Amino acid sequence: MGANFESKNLMNKFFSKLSIISFILIPIIFLWHPNWLGFLGVQPYWPLFWLLPWSMINGSINGLIFGLFLGLILDSLTLDDSFTQIPGLIFCGFLFGRIKLHSDILLGHFRYGLICSFASFLCGILYFLQILFRNFSDGNILIMIPSVKNILAEVFLTGLFAPFICSQLLRIFKFSRRYL
Amino acid sequence: MLGIRRISTNRWWHKKKNWIFLATFLFLAFVRISKGSFFKDFYYFISKPFWPGQFQKEIVLKSIDQEYLIKLNLLKKDNLRLRRILSLQESSNKENISAAVISRKTGSWWRQIILNKGSKDGVEIGNIVIGPGGLLGRVKETSLFTSSVILVTSPESKLGVWVDRIQINGLLVGSGDDYPSLILYSKNADIKVGDFVSSSPASTLLPPNIPIGIVQSIDEKLKSKKTAKILLLAKPHVIDWVQILKVKI
Repeated sequence: MGANFESKNLMNKFFSKLSIISFILIPIIFLWHPNWLGFLGVQPYWPLFWLLPWSMINGSINGLIFGLFLGLILDSLTLDDSFTQIPGLIFCGFLFGRIKLHSDILLGHFRYGLICSFASFLCGILYFLQILFRNFSDGNILIMIPSVKNILAEVFLTGLFAPFICSQLLRIFKFSRRYL
Repeated sequence: MLGIRRISTNRWWHKKKNWIFLATFLFLAFVRISKGSFFKDFYYFISKPFWPGQFQKEIVLKSIDQEYLIKLNLLKKDNLRLRRILSLQESSNKENISAAVISRKTGSWWRQIILNKGSKDGVEIGNIVIGPGGLLGRVKETSLFTSSVILVTSPESKLGVWVDRIQINGLLVGSGDDYPSLILYSKNADIKVGDFVSSSPASTLLPPNIPIGIVQSIDEKLKSKKTAKILLLAKPHVIDWVQILKVKI
């Protein structure tokens, strides 16, 4: 009887920590960079898949804070010291918190794709503007073409995967909140 | 008259949640300042079972053949480096360190690879990384078990190079795609498609005569300087094993 209670308690603890575990997985996937999921060598923008359901459940302020946290971690894993992902992720975290859950499941799925595509576009543009600002004095316009390609491929891939990943993560987060 | 003293039990420091938030923020700030070395080392351990093995032998051997063909021309002037690049996966002496690629970003905003050898193996910031074919990049950061390499295709990378046929120095600048740009600050430079580009003898970052690439196309628009796109001999998106050169220039 006691052992059964203990194992149930352990399970509850595990489920309540699922959101944190999935948070730790983001930098791992970011480093892993699976090529078979890419398009033109570009990956979907992974942090948005986690940030969208998290902010939708926990609100704008929470989204903003975790956008900052994600930005800090992901910036530390890239070698470009001059550019940062923090502004885009903070803005998206705040924006996602304003979105309410939708009752229609099918519509909700497509909505995730559209929202993540838009957010990925925003993050891409903010990153691109930093690169453009940095290289403005050099007159290095050659950098523009690959950047546009990066943004478009990232928007496409993020929008494609978001309905699958975001809805599952949303379910997991809702489930884990029940055990808190 | 007794003053009214406010007895508050609802200050921010009384809440456990705020302390947890502060501690998390400080931890992440530490992660940011340490450039994620904690995460990279963590990734080193969990990705260990999936490190590349022998299956890329064919690609490696093909690239080595290509490299040796170009090296034959350079051999007349300098055959010292050819002796160093022999069996790629076996040798690991004091000068060269063989390392496996455990993380790779070659197509997006970031162009970098992470290797499974770090400061404990003697890798230092600024070491040169070569793969089958030639130069890949330079070590920009090291953690205890890993080292991060900035590729020559990264917009942050700027290297001095040498065009062997016309005997002229140029600047190789990453442009965010797979073909870095070669800039020659001379409008009369007679550069042609197919010209071979190696590291410059005048460079302070690289040792001389490391093969880099071949001129793929020449941009005619700019009149004051000549720019060309370079096809790299080493392919960072397929190479699984590299060598870190510990050279002092």
